[in-house]
Amino acid sequence: MWPDLAAHALAHLGLAGSAMLVALAIGLPAGAFAGIFGPVRNVALALASVGRTLPSLAVLMLLLPLLGVGATPAIVALALLAIPPIVIAVDLGIRGVPAGVLDAAAGMGMTATGRFFRVIAPLALPVSFSGVRTAAIETIASATLATFIGAGGLGDDIVRGLQTNDPTILLAGAATVALLALAVELALGTVARRLEART
Amino acid sequence: MSEPAIRFANATVRYAGADRDAIDDITFDVMPGELVVLLGPSGCGKSTLLRTVNRLVPLDGGKVEFFGSNVAEIDPVELRRNIGYAIQAVGLFGHMTVAANIGVVPSLLGWKGDDIDARVDELLTMVDLDPARYRNRKPRELSGGEAQRVGVARALAARPRALLMDEPFGAVDALVRAELQRELLRIVRELRTTTLFVTHDVEEALLLADKIVAMQSGRVEQIGEPSALLDRPESDYVRTLFHAGDALYREYFLHVRAEMRER
Amino acid sequence: MNVTRKHVLAALASLPALTRCAGLSPSIRVGSKNFTESFVIAEIYAQALEKAGFTVMRRFNLGSTQIALAAMQRGDIDLYPEYTGTALIDVLHLAPMQNPHALYSTVSREFAKRYDFVWLKPSPMNDSQALATTKQIAAREKIETLSDLAPKASSLRLATIQEFLARADGLPGLQRVYGGFHFADVRTYDIALKYNALLGGKADVASAFTTDGAIATDDLVILRDDRHLWPPYNVAPVVRRQTLGSHANIAIVLDGVSPRITDIAAQRMNAAVESAHKDPADVASAFLAGKPF
Repeated sequence: MWPDLAAHALAHLGLAGSAMLVALAIGLPAGAFAGIFGPVRNVALALASVGRTLPSLAVLMLLLPLLGVGATPAIVALALLAIPPIVIAVDLGIRGVPAGVLDAAAGMGMTATGRFFRVIAPLALPVSFSGVRTAAIETIASATLATFIGAGGLGDDIVRGLQTNDPTILLAGAATVALLALAVELALGTVARRLEART
Repeated sequence: MSEPAIRFANATVRYAGADRDAIDDITFDVMPGELVVLLGPSGCGKSTLLRTVNRLVPLDGGKVEFFGSNVAEIDPVELRRNIGYAIQAVGLFGHMTVAANIGVVPSLLGWKGDDIDARVDELLTMVDLDPARYRNRKPRELSGGEAQRVGVARALAARPRALLMDEPFGAVDALVRAELQRELLRIVRELRTTTLFVTHDVEEALLLADKIVAMQSGRVEQIGEPSALLDRPESDYVRTLFHAGDALYREYFLHVRAEMRER
Repeated sequence: MNVTRKHVLAALASLPALTRCAGLSPSIRVGSKNFTESFVIAEIYAQALEKAGFTVMRRFNLGSTQIALAAMQRGDIDLYPEYTGTALIDVLHLAPMQNPHALYSTVSREFAKRYDFVWLKPSPMNDSQALATTKQIAAREKIETLSDLAPKASSLRLATIQEFLARADGLPGLQRVYGGFHFADVRTYDIALKYNALLGGKADVASAFTTDGAIATDDLVILRDDRHLWPPYNVAPVVRRQTLGSHANIAIVLDGVSPRITDIAAQRMNAAVESAHKDPADVASAFLAGKPF
C-alpha cells in the first residue's frame, strides 16, 4: 500500500501543480484587467462568482463530451475551479491600492505600465497572494476527483477504500490529501508573511 | 518683461452632466519664482485648475502654457517628470523605503545611482529629516508630518521648474501645519521654485502667497497680493472671505507674514 | 365449500391492500449496489412488490458488494439483488464453480448458514465479469480469448475500476489463472466512464460485465473466458429470513418476476439507461408491463 500511496501522492501533486500553473497564467492577467478596467471587472467578477459555486464534480462531468477522460480534462477542470478565487483576490488587491498613491504616481510622470509593474502590482501582491493560497488548497482537495476520469492521484486510494470497504486504505488516502494540503498551506503561509512585511 | 512660468489663457474644463463648467474661461499668469495660491471652497475648481498644468485634467477650451510651451503639445510623461506634484494624501509608495520614494523621478530620468543617493540625503536634510534615521524607513513608520515632508522632498527631487501642491497640509494638525508652512516657504524661496498651491484655508493663503487667486464656482473672483485682497476686495465674496474692515485681522496676518519671511 | 375457500383466499389476497389503507402496510426496504444493472433490477423487484401491495423504501446506490452486505447484516435493508458468482468468490471466498445449479445450491446453503439470508429463485441472465476490447483492436492483435490476451497485455492499456484491481476474481484472479496480464498501463475510472476511455482511444482493454449496455450498442467484443476463471453470475433476490418470515408473499411475487430477466433483456435495459439516458424506474416499469423501453 505504501509505495502506491507515495506514487499516488506524487501524481496528485503533479495534477494540482499543473492546474495551478494554468490557473495563474489565466487568472493573474484576468484579475489585473478586472482591477484596472471597470467594464471588465463587472463581467469578470460575475463569472468568478458563478465559478466559485460550481461543484467540482459537475465541472468534471461537463467537460467530458469536450475533452474526454484522462489527465488533460482533469487539469482543465481543476484550473477552472482555481481561477475564480485568484481573479477575485487580484482584483481586490488592485482596487485596494489607495487612490492617492495612483494620483501621485501619475502626477510624477510614471507611465501606465510603469505604474502597474512598479507600484500597483507590488502593493496588490499580499492580497492577491492570499487568493493564490486559497486556490492552491482547494485544488489539492479537489484533485481527488481525478480518479473518476482515470487521471490517478490519491482519489484512487479513497475510491479503493470505498469500493472494497477497507477503512485503512480509505483513511490513508484521505489523510495524505490532508497532509499535502497542510504542507502547502504552511509553505505559502510563510511566503505570505514575508510579502506582508514588505509593505 | 520676463516670460511667465505658467500661463492660463481662457482655460475651460467641462464635466459631463454638470450644469456649469468646472473651470470657466480662466486667464492669469504665474511668474517664475512666485508662490501663487488658488483659494476657494471645495468644488470651486481650484484643484481642477491645478491639474490642467500637468495634464492630469485635459482642457476643453483655451490653453495652458508652461515656460512658453503649450502643455498640450508636450509629451505628458515628460512634462510631469519636470513638474513637482505633492498632494494631501501624499501617496508614498508603501513597499519602497523613504529613499526609494524620493528617488523615483530621478531614476525615471536616468540619473546615476550615486547622484540619486546624494540628492536623497540633500533633500531629507532640506525638509529637516535626518538622512541617517529616515533613509531606510518605510512609509508606514512615518507620522503625518514626516510623510508630508517626504512628499515634498519627492516632489522636489529632480529639480523641477515648478511645483504643484494640492492642499498638502490639510491632513495634519495645526502645530505641524504651521511648521510645514514655514519650511515650505523657506525652501521655495531658497530654490526660487515657481509654486502653485491650492488651499481652502484663508489664513494659509495669507501667510504663504505672493499672489492669491480667489475662486468661486469655476471662476476667478479676484487676483492680487494679500494686502490688495484685504484692503480692496472687489466683490462681496472676497470681502466676506477676507474679513474686510477688520483691522486687527489685517494687522495680525501682515505681521505674521513678515515674520515668516525674516527667518 | 369452494365459495367459502374463494372468499377466504380473496380476503387473504386483499389483506395487504386493506392493511395499507389502514396505514399498517408492511414496509420492505430494497437495496441495490452502485451500477446501472443493480438499479434496474432492484427497481423491478421494488415495483413488483409495490404492485402486490407492499410499501417499499428504496435504499439504492450502496457502494459495493461489501457495503450492501453490511447493510443487510445491520438490518438497514431487507433484500437486494446479488449475483451467484460474486457471492461465491467475494463473500464466501470459495473456489470457482462452473455449474450454475451447483453454484446456486452452494451459495444458498452457505448464506443461510452464515447469515440467515435466503436466496429466492435466480434469473437466467448471466452477468459475468469480462474483458472487452474494440473490434479493431481484437482484429489487429488477433485476440479472441483471454488466453490470447494474457501475454499481449504488456503492450496494452487497461481501463477499469478500483474494485477490479482489489477483488480476488478481478485482475489478481486473471494473473493467477492465465499468467501474464501485466498491462503496460492501468488506470481506474468512475464505473460509468470506463467505456469512454476505451472508445476514446485512451485504453485498449476495459474490464466489463457481459450484460453491459455498451456491448449491445457499440463497437465492442467480449473476450472468451476459455479457462473459466469466472463462474456464472446469475442474479437473484437475497432476503433476510426474518423479513421473509413475516411476509411470505415476497417470495411469490419475486419468483414470478425473476424468470423473465434474460441476458438480452438485461443488456437492452442497461443500454436504455446508459445510452438512451432513460430513468431506471421507467425502464423497470416498462419491463414489468411487457412494453418496449
